[in-house]
Amino acid sequence: METRVQYQEELEQLEASALGGLDLVSAALSRTLEAIEHQDVELAQIVVADDDRIDGRYLEVHQALITLLATQSPVATDLRLISALLHVLKNVERMGDQCVNICKLIPLSGNEPPSDEEMVKLILAMGAQTKTLISQAKRAFADRDVELARDLVRQDDVVDDLNRDCFRLALEIGDDADRREWAMTMLLAARAIERIGDNSVDIGEQVSFVVTGLFQEFEDASHPSA
Amino acid sequence: MNPDKIDTSREAAGAEAPQGGTAPATAGSPGGEQPASPPAPAKRQVELRGLSAYYGDHQAVKHVGLYFAATDVTAIIGPSGCGKSTMVRCVNRMHEEIPGARAEGEVLLDGGDLYGPDVDVVAVRRAVGMVFQKPNPFPTMSIFDNVASGLRFTGTARGEVDDRVRKALSEAGLWEEVKDRLGKPGLGLSGGQQQRLCIARALAVDPEVLLMDEPCSALDPVATLRIEELIGELKQRVTIVIVTHNMQQAARVADTTAFMLGGELVEVAPTDKVFTNPDDERTEQYVTGKFG
Repeated sequence: METRVQYQEELEQLEASALGGLDLVSAALSRTLEAIEHQDVELAQIVVADDDRIDGRYLEVHQALITLLATQSPVATDLRLISALLHVLKNVERMGDQCVNICKLIPLSGNEPPSDEEMVKLILAMGAQTKTLISQAKRAFADRDVELARDLVRQDDVVDDLNRDCFRLALEIGDDADRREWAMTMLLAARAIERIGDNSVDIGEQVSFVVTGLFQEFEDASHPSA
Repeated sequence: MNPDKIDTSREAAGAEAPQGGTAPATAGSPGGEQPASPPAPAKRQVELRGLSAYYGDHQAVKHVGLYFAATDVTAIIGPSGCGKSTMVRCVNRMHEEIPGARAEGEVLLDGGDLYGPDVDVVAVRRAVGMVFQKPNPFPTMSIFDNVASGLRFTGTARGEVDDRVRKALSEAGLWEEVKDRLGKPGLGLSGGQQQRLCIARALAVDPEVLLMDEPCSALDPVATLRIEELIGELKQRVTIVIVTHNMQQAARVADTTAFMLGGELVEVAPTDKVFTNPDDERTEQYVTGKFG
């Protein structure tokens, strides 16, 4: 039974590592928001370079999970957990990439961009709300709390609303070509943050799968109920 | 099997409802009661009703209700001593051969109780074949005679024996390997071949059900794979019940998996459900290797 105990411990550690990836993403998002707020090109470059850490976490945990599949033949809850962790990892990696996407946009708007204070405020609010989603997704997974996971949809609606507000602001930004270009760039950033929120909801859906054994989409984007 | 030998008149009074993943007889009959006028039972289907088995005072199988669907492979899993081998030995009435051992309840094949008063035990064993953990060809017999041995007791015409032996060896996937040495001793074959010889011997008398008690535990991985492939082919023709310690094997070959613990049937469900999302916490603990 000793090897089985070891296997359980290893699985627990891998879960902690995969969920720890969400902390890395949250830190990357914080820096990304700071870089947007202060038009800090250097900080943006750090975020881009630091994404290697998130990718490294992905590769390391992914490989270890594949090894567990090959050597321990996990079934039942263990199998569902491993399948869910593979999804979590994929989402973590994509969330990191979204931060990189945003940070690559920042130098494009120049040193003194014709920024709009209200729009920057909206994007920072989106980012703050998305960080809440990330930590809530992590807690829901660690606690196997399906209700908390389902609540991510409600939290994500806030991000979506802010994203729409950004879009309206961009439409009304005026005739100045530079300002319009800046607004377009910021819309791409808003869109990337909005996707990070969606990735958090995807992680929430995996919580439900681990607990119930059934995969349920919390929100079906292609068949919206409303 | 000769239906005259099987008593079909007994009522299932007080018997426990059998469990089974795809049991048509139980579907839509809540409480496990038989429908008022049951349709003719499907060929080759086996039902255990309130089956208990004892070794003296010790009860090894406790009131098990279970259903083996005709074209399914059913795997019985559980820790050592859980009663899984004893249970399948009750299906061909081998359990009672052990001094002090007895069984209670009903085992129905095609609706007839194998424990009925007028049932011929020899007929039961012909209808319900068995393959054991260790290949056990008759040591003094040739390959041919091993397979033909059962036919001699069934009064098969001499001219027919050759064909039946060839057919059984083909079905067991052994014909091409042994056709040029049918007169050689069965013990001269490899372990995997010997096990397939035993399967051929069981198939020769045209059974309806094949019980396999850990059929691969003494075989190497290649021979194991060969037997597992064979199980997949044979299930079209015989109802297969396989007792196995190897959960991966159960997951690979079985359509339905039943988990036993302490003589009781804990859970029976389609195999994929048992191995991805079992209902019972004890099943979960066992299949994930947390005990047993």
